[in-house]
Amino acid sequence: MSSDLIIGMAGSGGDGIVSAGDAFMTAAGLRGYHALLTKSFGPQIRGGESSCRLRLCTEPILSTGGAIDIAVALNWEDFLKFGGELPVGGATTVVYDSRTGVAPDHLPLPGVRPREVISLPIGEMAKEAAGTERAKNLVVLGLLSGWTGLDRELIVEGLRKRFGKKGPEVVAGNEQAFAAGVQWALDHPLTQPRTLDPPTGPGKDKITVDGNEICAAAALFADCEFFSGYPITPSSEIMHFLGREIWKYGGTMVQAEDEIAGVGQAVGASFAGKKAMTATSGPGMSLKTEMLGLASIAELPLVCVNVQRGGPSTGIPTKSEQADLFQACFSAHGDVVRPVLSPISVKDTFFLTVEAFNIAEQYQTPVILLSDQEIAQRKETLILPDTSGLEVVERRRPTEAELEDYQRFRHTESLVSPISHPGMPGGNYLASGIEHTESGAPTASGEAHARMNEKRIHKLDPLKHRRDLFLMEGDEKAPLALVAWGSVAGVVREAFRSALEEGLQVKLLVPKLLYPVAEEIYEEFFHWVQAGLVVEQSHQGQLYRVIRMFVDLPANVWPFKRSGSNPILPPAVLGRLERLALELQQRQAPETQQADG
Amino acid sequence: MSSTTATPVEEHQAGDYKSELKPIWCPACGDYGVVQAIYRALAKVGRPPHEIAFVSGIGCSSRIPGYTSAYGFNSVHGRALPIAQGIKLANQHLLVLVAGGDGDAFAIGGGHVAHAIRRNVDLTYIVMDNQIYGLTKGQVSPTSPRGLKSASSPLGSLEEPLNPLLYVLGYGCSYVAQGTPANMPGLAAVIEEGIRFPGFAFINVRSPCVTYGRPEQSLKAHKATMEALTDLKHDASDRMKAMALASEYGTKLYTGVFYRNPEPPPTYGAATHERQEQMKGSALPRKRILETFRSR
Repeated sequence: MSSDLIIGMAGSGGDGIVSAGDAFMTAAGLRGYHALLTKSFGPQIRGGESSCRLRLCTEPILSTGGAIDIAVALNWEDFLKFGGELPVGGATTVVYDSRTGVAPDHLPLPGVRPREVISLPIGEMAKEAAGTERAKNLVVLGLLSGWTGLDRELIVEGLRKRFGKKGPEVVAGNEQAFAAGVQWALDHPLTQPRTLDPPTGPGKDKITVDGNEICAAAALFADCEFFSGYPITPSSEIMHFLGREIWKYGGTMVQAEDEIAGVGQAVGASFAGKKAMTATSGPGMSLKTEMLGLASIAELPLVCVNVQRGGPSTGIPTKSEQADLFQACFSAHGDVVRPVLSPISVKDTFFLTVEAFNIAEQYQTPVILLSDQEIAQRKETLILPDTSGLEVVERRRPTEAELEDYQRFRHTESLVSPISHPGMPGGNYLASGIEHTESGAPTASGEAHARMNEKRIHKLDPLKHRRDLFLMEGDEKAPLALVAWGSVAGVVREAFRSALEEGLQVKLLVPKLLYPVAEEIYEEFFHWVQAGLVVEQSHQGQLYRVIRMFVDLPANVWPFKRSGSNPILPPAVLGRLERLALELQQRQAPETQQADG
Repeated sequence: MSSTTATPVEEHQAGDYKSELKPIWCPACGDYGVVQAIYRALAKVGRPPHEIAFVSGIGCSSRIPGYTSAYGFNSVHGRALPIAQGIKLANQHLLVLVAGGDGDAFAIGGGHVAHAIRRNVDLTYIVMDNQIYGLTKGQVSPTSPRGLKSASSPLGSLEEPLNPLLYVLGYGCSYVAQGTPANMPGLAAVIEEGIRFPGFAFINVRSPCVTYGRPEQSLKAHKATMEALTDLKHDASDRMKAMALASEYGTKLYTGVFYRNPEPPPTYGAATHERQEQMKGSALPRKRILETFRSR
């Protein structure tokens, strides 16, 4: 029996391996399991290799997990291209198409001896059952259904919805291929059973969604009325969703001629009084930088999403990395602080996107939502999140009295000034990228400039006390610490739970507000810490370095980092933490002896 | 929907559109005339200043929004058009003007012009074309003549000038006109007509630079050489003839309307409005948006 199952599958594009994962996930979600699906593709647009990794759990899922339990290879050449993403271990059940000609005791997996290896004629079975090899993925789906015990009826119902449009023949063929897979699995039970434990969650009120789509939906929840952007992997799905949906709410989506125009139009819409968003990935972010500076000095609310991918330059567009943090925090000329938020899961992306709008509106500032490919393009089944308590903030408009002698950039107690917009009588002002006085008149005065810098930077200070933007777990006085952000936070939370089970005294900090750096929150967290890891997917360990710019970290807090495209897995984090605990123990041991002596 | 029809027209004087800021251009700069012509055109159109958004980029001419009483946006170099489009599409009741120089429009921001035109966003784009970079003290611009000696081309420019009129006509701009402060009534008239035109309107203003300009660009020279297109009996509905006349940019100074599309395409705003109306009512309430993703 299994309460946590990871399936990894790979084939050629067109084999439908991802769509099989999708179908299995949906059925599992409707049955009451928690499910998480990541897809990975080669650089080709059509054809080439494709893979997916599906995790099913009776409990909520934090990450894609470690080694896979069931590996399915339609051919080995494609499977091996996903080495780090589909790690096969000693406990893995390996299933592959016998047509590959590989002998079960000669798998091309150096150094690994999987517990069970099953070779079967998947392609031939598809041809026999459905009349076409294209139904290979349905045979696989049947095998998985047979071995895991996931309701066949639910899967078949899903297949009908999915393939109904293609006509009754295709549907019938697919169902026969599926049935053939199920039968084969029943006839050949696994030596290590992979039957799923009964689900603990509800099957009703479930949603299946990826990080980009839920980000776009959150924008609509937050009353976003304008989106402009330029197509770029892996963020385009945000534009795709809004291109369908935003019109229904009276909004507008424009595919701009370039990244600069995308953010420029959003800045214009915000000036005109509407909530506006743009979205991009690394290279596009580089291009948008000047316009973000304009939004900062003109004090215009704006949400800019950067779905991080491997960089620099074109880098690895289809793979995740956390290497744009320096850029998010510091890519501006002049003295600028702009909030940077980073979600840790698909569900979190919803709440943090709404938060990004709220902060942008409340503080009249651009906000960068720093997502990453892993979260943005992974699908999760979730219990429909409760949004009833979720507040949506509007920018502060001038009152009638304030319009009498209106000063757009007036220094108020909060340093945030009431903001008018074209169309509002009496609110006329000049917005500008040039330094300006409180009334908006251009100025080159050093005093005026210093006061405006003070206003623009320190109006954001209250953010540094937003404890709700930090996830903290574990005993306050634990000597060991784990810190992580973005998609890697889920991996680290899993390692953290295992560490607690092992009896390690460890605490966890996951910042979702990355900039401005909340000094007090970090100082408090690290107060009792004697050793720790800041875990992230970048070569330089960017969060580790950003924190150190503002906070004195205790000795023996180290970055645990690796470049993107290589996933960080929970066992690796746990292993490093165990070594750290051991070192700490060894350091303390002589002291203890001394004290005893 | 034309931007001039949103609010009943009121009686306005040119002075109503003047701000308290004092222009800081060089004495006798052509741009003084341009801003006066804009005040006059706006007074004729009669929209109250708070319903006007005036956007610019960077350059001497980009200071203009600050000298009007409208909502102004003096943005960054070359990006006035994207910002103006965002404003117009976010609130179509606004009258949106865009101003800039030849560098802003055809060098650093040149890529945006084509797309504002093909979207046909209802904007009026006034380019003060002085064929030089004045704000940065006298470098060649994309409309400078070949061979021009300037701060950045001390031995003479090696590039052909770009023809702004042909550029916008080529991309299908539906209203293309030219003016000079040497003829104030004519300049105010083409700006007014551009504002009233339902769609993207382009007005090239030959605004002389008194500091770095050439003698043949002075207002005095303009007065002697300018020719009104109406005097030539030019039929402004004929795009090919308009292009032929526009080709003489650099040798002739024609004023008035080169091209006025008798059947302009729908504006982008009209198209987005139509789509919003079509889609209205098919949505879940915003607060229930997550139900869009129900597993099935």
